[in-house]
Amino acid sequence: MPSLGLPIYGQHDGRRPDPATPERWRSLAEAEGRAAVEAGQYPDGDEPAPATFGRRGFVQLLSASAALAGLAGCKPPREKVVGYVKRPEGVTPSLPGYYATALSQGGHAVGVVVETHEGRPTKIEGHRDHPASLGGSGLAEQAAILELYQPDRLSGVRRRGGHMAWSALLTELSALAKAHEADGGARLRFLCEPTSSPALAALRQKVLARFPRARIDTWDAIGDDAAREGARLAFGRPLEADQDLTTADVILALDADPLGGEGEHLRHARAFAARREGAPMNRLYVAEPGYSVTGGAADHRFRMRGAEVLAFARGVAGALASRHGLAALAPLGAPLAAERARQAEAVAKDLVRARGRGLVLAGRRQPPALHALVALMNEALGHVGRTLVWREPALVDPATGPAGLARLAQELAAGQVTTLVITAWNPAYTAPADLGLAGLLGKAPELLYLAAQEDETSGLAGTVIAAAHPLEAWGDLRARNGLASVVQPLIAPLRESVTELDLTAAFVEQGHLGAWRHVRDAWQAQAGQAGFDRTWESWLSAGVLHATELRAVPAEVSAAAVVAAVVAAAAPPAGLEALFAADEKVLDGRLAGNAWLQELPHPISKLTWGNAALVSPATARRLGLEDGDGVKLTLRGRSVEATAMVQPGHADEAITLPLGYGRRVVGPAGQGAGFDATALRTVGAPWIDGGLALVKTGKRQALARTQEHFSMEGRDIALEVTLEGLPHAAHKLEELRGDQASILPAVDYSKEQYRWGMAIDLTKCTGCGICTLACQAENNIPVVGKEQVLQSREMHWLRVDRYYEGTPEEPTSISQPLACVHCESAPCEYVCPVNATVHSDEGLNEMVYNRCVGTRYCSNNCPYKVRRFNYLDFHPTAPPTLAMLANPDVTVRARGVMEKCSYCVQRIERARIGVRALGAPGDTIGGDAVVSACQQACPAEAIVFGNLNDPSSRVSRAHRDDRRYDLLHQLGTRPRTAYLVRVKNPNPELA
Amino acid sequence: MSALFSPKSNTTLMTVLATLALGAGGTIGGLMVFQRIPYGTQQQAPIVQPVQFDHRHHVQDDLIDCRYCHASVDKAPSAGIPATETCLACHAQVWNKSPLLDQVRASWFSNQPIVWTRVTRLPDFVYFNHAIHVNKGVGCVECHGRVDQMAAIEQVAPLTMGWCLDCHRDPKPRLRPLEVVTSMRWEPPADRAALGEQLAKTYDVKPRVSCTTCHR
Repeated sequence: MPSLGLPIYGQHDGRRPDPATPERWRSLAEAEGRAAVEAGQYPDGDEPAPATFGRRGFVQLLSASAALAGLAGCKPPREKVVGYVKRPEGVTPSLPGYYATALSQGGHAVGVVVETHEGRPTKIEGHRDHPASLGGSGLAEQAAILELYQPDRLSGVRRRGGHMAWSALLTELSALAKAHEADGGARLRFLCEPTSSPALAALRQKVLARFPRARIDTWDAIGDDAAREGARLAFGRPLEADQDLTTADVILALDADPLGGEGEHLRHARAFAARREGAPMNRLYVAEPGYSVTGGAADHRFRMRGAEVLAFARGVAGALASRHGLAALAPLGAPLAAERARQAEAVAKDLVRARGRGLVLAGRRQPPALHALVALMNEALGHVGRTLVWREPALVDPATGPAGLARLAQELAAGQVTTLVITAWNPAYTAPADLGLAGLLGKAPELLYLAAQEDETSGLAGTVIAAAHPLEAWGDLRARNGLASVVQPLIAPLRESVTELDLTAAFVEQGHLGAWRHVRDAWQAQAGQAGFDRTWESWLSAGVLHATELRAVPAEVSAAAVVAAVVAAAAPPAGLEALFAADEKVLDGRLAGNAWLQELPHPISKLTWGNAALVSPATARRLGLEDGDGVKLTLRGRSVEATAMVQPGHADEAITLPLGYGRRVVGPAGQGAGFDATALRTVGAPWIDGGLALVKTGKRQALARTQEHFSMEGRDIALEVTLEGLPHAAHKLEELRGDQASILPAVDYSKEQYRWGMAIDLTKCTGCGICTLACQAENNIPVVGKEQVLQSREMHWLRVDRYYEGTPEEPTSISQPLACVHCESAPCEYVCPVNATVHSDEGLNEMVYNRCVGTRYCSNNCPYKVRRFNYLDFHPTAPPTLAMLANPDVTVRARGVMEKCSYCVQRIERARIGVRALGAPGDTIGGDAVVSACQQACPAEAIVFGNLNDPSSRVSRAHRDDRRYDLLHQLGTRPRTAYLVRVKNPNPELA
Repeated sequence: MSALFSPKSNTTLMTVLATLALGAGGTIGGLMVFQRIPYGTQQQAPIVQPVQFDHRHHVQDDLIDCRYCHASVDKAPSAGIPATETCLACHAQVWNKSPLLDQVRASWFSNQPIVWTRVTRLPDFVYFNHAIHVNKGVGCVECHGRVDQMAAIEQVAPLTMGWCLDCHRDPKPRLRPLEVVTSMRWEPPADRAALGEQLAKTYDVKPRVSCTTCHR
């Protein structure tokens, strides 16, 4: 084929170029003349370019024929349909199934119900009958489904660099166990996660019976061991407090976050919210250094350094003793500065007013002495038996603190450990830095590690065993109150993997039995042989084993011991305070590879894709810090580089260091996200320490926040009134709802059978962000990554706005979930040139992806800014396992298409067809029967959805509420989502 | 000074403009027509299946109801593809040595499903639900045609959105009593309109035409 003779970029014919013109080059070697190509364009050894019908000619012909063939390619290829060979019982293809199981939350059960499509789990919801869920779910529960499908999960067993079958490993472990039997397992150690599993407890007993000198340590980097240690001070044994916020009128949270992530926070959020309506409304005081979710919900938030919380508690105790006659607390009093004393006295007075109907809580990062003091205060105020009871811990091993880890580190250093079995998550990363555990782990000749993904510890272990996901394996767990649940698998393991039960059993020669056998046998031993099959089936379908709760134990605080502990408590360390914080999203770091959680805005700071060293505005001024400034933090000789962020409302002279970020070995989502605060943590002061040194490095780092502007600019957006002011606000609220002139003709929907609507109660909302995550899981919403978030291109259909009010030093905050409000006179609709967004007969603002051509006019004209545009094609790059996660009832959107909240129309249609196809003629959907994904997940029940044309539905009642107002009402958009104004209940004495 | 354009220029310009407009319009129009003719919608296209299953024999000779094999048609979105087990319920006894059933037996003994080729395909953004249609008196025949007369199943309906909407806007002429919803041979009475009127009332038939009825 003759050449066209046109010059082709990057090619020359071997002649030296004109020295006057600059030469183009493709590699450094070429530029330096080291790879000069002589005679012909290919290096030696390659075939010379063929002279006639060559590659180029071939490709030209190929493309021409492909272009012609394209005409025939207009038709899509024929799809295949695959039936079952044998249909599994209870499965109807195309109908979802629901199974009850439980997930672990620090070793305790959270009951969940999992939706599966043809054996493929797609969504996790809370379990209504489980005390730790009550139907709501938390961030970790929603995100667990993504962990199941993580593409970088480990598979099989890696031993001494090679792959090995589990059965082969069992043979080797058997020999290993026999070798340890000689000295009773004196050189055998286990390091485990906290767990409440009865089956595991039984197996561990067997292990310890075979190896009496072996030891099983438990380690939780963000556990509640300080609380149990405090109970040990107060009662002489580690008891667990079980609080009930439904009966508490006055709550004092001392650096505790019962609504955000501590304890059974889903249950607490429900109870707290329930007491925000009706009379008497509860009152929440929070004393804390950082800004927590609970702090955001507080009626009064006292900002103080972490080390001052104990002194404040003593001030309250002193006021209770001196002014209200609680003699038991008298020796605990301590003088406070004038303003603090006034606050402490007001709190004390309120607590006394609500004697027996109050509750004092202490957070997990406060020292045991404070927990002991709180136990004494609760007892003196008569709260025990009313708002809290004491129970034996449900955990198999309640000592989850760093003490056991430190002992293990010593033994490792002394070479006293031959075999170390690690089932705790990633101790090389989570262990306090002063232990140097990462360096010591190599000293155990046999290091076995059970892990789901590669992490900092897996690289150090000679044997890495892939761990099964909780949705793939059998197990059992107890809630904090002891209520047991069977963990049942919903899918065969996607990767070759085993559970902690299997690995533990391997040391008593039972590793081949499988987890099901262990769990079933353990429960059969308790429940008895007779009719056990049916009992077992009923447990599996119910998700809980009724009447397995632990009884409350009578316990009396030893006042003298508490006084001694409190008085002996170390003085607050001087200097800049380092406050380590468990992260709401990634916990101790185990969820750092979870892209959903990385992209979820932090409830308060709205930061995504990383953490930051949080500092108060005043301290930032003193240190000359601005958002995004790189800082070098040094504590006790160890340093870490972090990015600073100013957090309004943070305590002065203290820096919050969220744990769980800065992972070095982690899946793609966690890479480069934040800094590793654990590198500064010590065994002696794992939560609060003084003497932090901070130096600016001069580097800058962009902080991907989804909300940079915190002020409402005086407009009526997220409204808040005091309980006293509510009657006076009635007139104003009246103006913010009802008819409003509009250029669009009003459509009458009152004759329709259904008029879908939503109401969001700002009084109940804590801003935790679970609605955003639940929406993401339900509606196949993609993750866009840090770069796109920095360009404000996040795709969350439902965002939670958080506004500050007051001074930057002492602001209050209010959170407002906002998705498409489905305006009846929707501004988006009349600007769409292709009719891609239209109204349904029932008043839903519909988005028709297939019509959308991506002009984005609708988004520009939306006053609520709730429309999201697919700037990039986010789905084709997803690995195949992640495709299994998609909800088959929701379209996966392509690039160039607008999308937004659909009011979970797939759930409406499922309910409609369920009623109309399978019900009697004339049956209708109940007013509360359709539950949107955000509503279902919300632990506080702040969101209600339903039929506004049914006057008895919850949403109708909410729309008729005196507190109801419409967002941007003056625009006349007639939104279907109404907001209920937030009511606060401040103490008039502190006004 | 001579004219810049010759008199011919006007004609040339008009011709060029007309050709461009007609070409663009023609292309678009042509594609739109193509999408609507049976060749474009793939009606009557022959489809080869792995097993030569003959609906004529099973429906006409054996009088097997559609729901015996497509079991979830009245309770789920998908009508359901029969499991190999369903075939062998009879064929373990009947024609259990027939070479036509080699694939079926192979599927059973190797525990590998039979991979059929889909005949009636709707785009992924369409959420069609069989249960609601079957329970409201829309017979199988209305969309799938006389399956009992097909040697190999072919698509008979165009499956365009306009075709769906025709019925959603006025379903009455296509309704039939629930007793004969799977019947292939039911003959409507002379006054089908009256019957449709009555059935629509009895079954509470209220088809919707909002976008989210089918697109979510």
